Amino acid sequence: MNLLEVKNLRVTFATETGQVQAVRGVSFSLGHERLGIVGESGSGKTMTGRAVLRLVRPPGRIEADAMTFDGRDILHAPEREMRALRGKRIGMVMQDPKYSLNPVMTVGRQLTEGLRLRDGLGRADAAAKAIAALEAVQIRDPRRVMDAYPHELSGGMGQRVMIAMMLIPEPDLLIADEPTSALDVTVQAEVLSILDGLVRDRGMGLIFISHDLRLVARFCDRVLVMHKGLVVEEIEAAHLLEARHPYTRGLLNCLPRIGGPRGPLPVLDRAGI
Amino acid sequence: MTALIEIENLTVAFRSKGREVRAVEGVSLSVEARESHGLVGESGSGKSTILRAICGMAPVTGGSIRIGGRPVPTPRGRAFSTEVQMVFQDPYASLHPRHTIDRTLSEPLAIHGLPGADARVVQALTEVGLPPAFRFRYPHQLSGGQRQRVAIARALMLKPKILLLDEPTSALDASVQAEVLNLLNRLRAEQGLTFLMVSHDLAVIDHMCDRIMVLQHGRSVEEITRDDLAHARMTTAYARSLFDASADRMLDGTTEPTS
Repeated sequence: MNLLEVKNLRVTFATETGQVQAVRGVSFSLGHERLGIVGESGSGKTMTGRAVLRLVRPPGRIEADAMTFDGRDILHAPEREMRALRGKRIGMVMQDPKYSLNPVMTVGRQLTEGLRLRDGLGRADAAAKAIAALEAVQIRDPRRVMDAYPHELSGGMGQRVMIAMMLIPEPDLLIADEPTSALDVTVQAEVLSILDGLVRDRGMGLIFISHDLRLVARFCDRVLVMHKGLVVEEIEAAHLLEARHPYTRGLLNCLPRIGGPRGPLPVLDRAGI
Repeated sequence: MTALIEIENLTVAFRSKGREVRAVEGVSLSVEARESHGLVGESGSGKSTILRAICGMAPVTGGSIRIGGRPVPTPRGRAFSTEVQMVFQDPYASLHPRHTIDRTLSEPLAIHGLPGADARVVQALTEVGLPPAFRFRYPHQLSGGQRQRVAIARALMLKPKILLLDEPTSALDASVQAEVLNLLNRLRAEQGLTFLMVSHDLAVIDHMCDRIMVLQHGRSVEEITRDDLAHARMTTAYARSLFDASADRMLDGTTEPTS
């Protein structure tokens, strides 16, 4: 049985000018694998990720023919049940550590908060577990980081703290929304290898949301390409370069390459899609 | 002939919590007129600080900066801004949210007492590929790519010779990035501009620049030409690690070049 099954997912926002559909019928299933969702800003990729956790605020509305996680209906589950799933079984790493960590709490307090409230651990046990999690994401000086406030960390460190936080409850599914976009290429490679190791060692499912096609192709098993709220192409990452849909091809071709030609870069022909 | 931009032994140091932080240490570089020079490195390598030091937005604590053979004055003054302009990374933060595009674009002209603002604004918008009616909009009514076009138009209002580009496309989608890079290359050819461009994306720098300086911890690690980069002829381990981590490597040799 698949870990996550989504059929005909729609996310609609009621605005002053009428209904706006951010996601217009997305279906996919996920096993213990790495699924990439790629698209430009506004393609609905983030909303798809959030809808799985039912984290869309009114006036946004989530509809689907079916949405199941591990055999359970998460489309109609009461909010209580969803709260029990979030974090514990489905984790989410947000895009920007600058906005997603609490600026007035030390990293240590944020990391142990869940452990103490949810798992009822004592102070020392929770701290030990948090330090172990920081070590797992290759933070060299976890004790110093535990006492630091988010603004005292670099972008790469902040991102690793968020990953550590999501991994403490050992979720079965991790949704990572642009987890490396704010990072330098070398740090990016490190964070990816950490995520990769976790998927391999724990058999976790991963939904990796990104606008960077090259990154996703290198890192994921399977890729959904989204455009205007629809999946325009689903393809094995290894065969991404043979993608046929004009939108996918356009996204691939518009990237400059080291040693590539110097002429104008091909731009996306939006009229033709 | 002397180079258009000459930086010799530049050092930029800040005091932070009583501790001296050297953001840039002993960096020298020269850029010829109409050349496009790239600076790459990770966050904290001092690449943006070099641009800010040229503009007078970071303290020059050692070394010298010369534009067109003359040392830059402090404060930089009006003559400087007709020669050198900067485009910033984040078009969401670099345009005044409560000024219309028209006001943003005509302000440099007003400061310099230049006539014909009306026609110049329309011309500037056309040059960057935006419809003239956009002048009555506010930044929040534009997309990221459109805002960056406005930021480029603003930088070109005083007809400078040099554009300092601080990660001009890293906040944009890949497809929009291609459009903005094409725009910059076209403007450089049309107006004979000189670029000094900062990016952490080697592929972007490679596409845009003739020569590239690799920075680490505020020091220059290596200076290579575009040709050397394309053939992976870097000599230092750090430059190679940046090259290897560059995401576009997976596409190398597997697709036909598209032109």
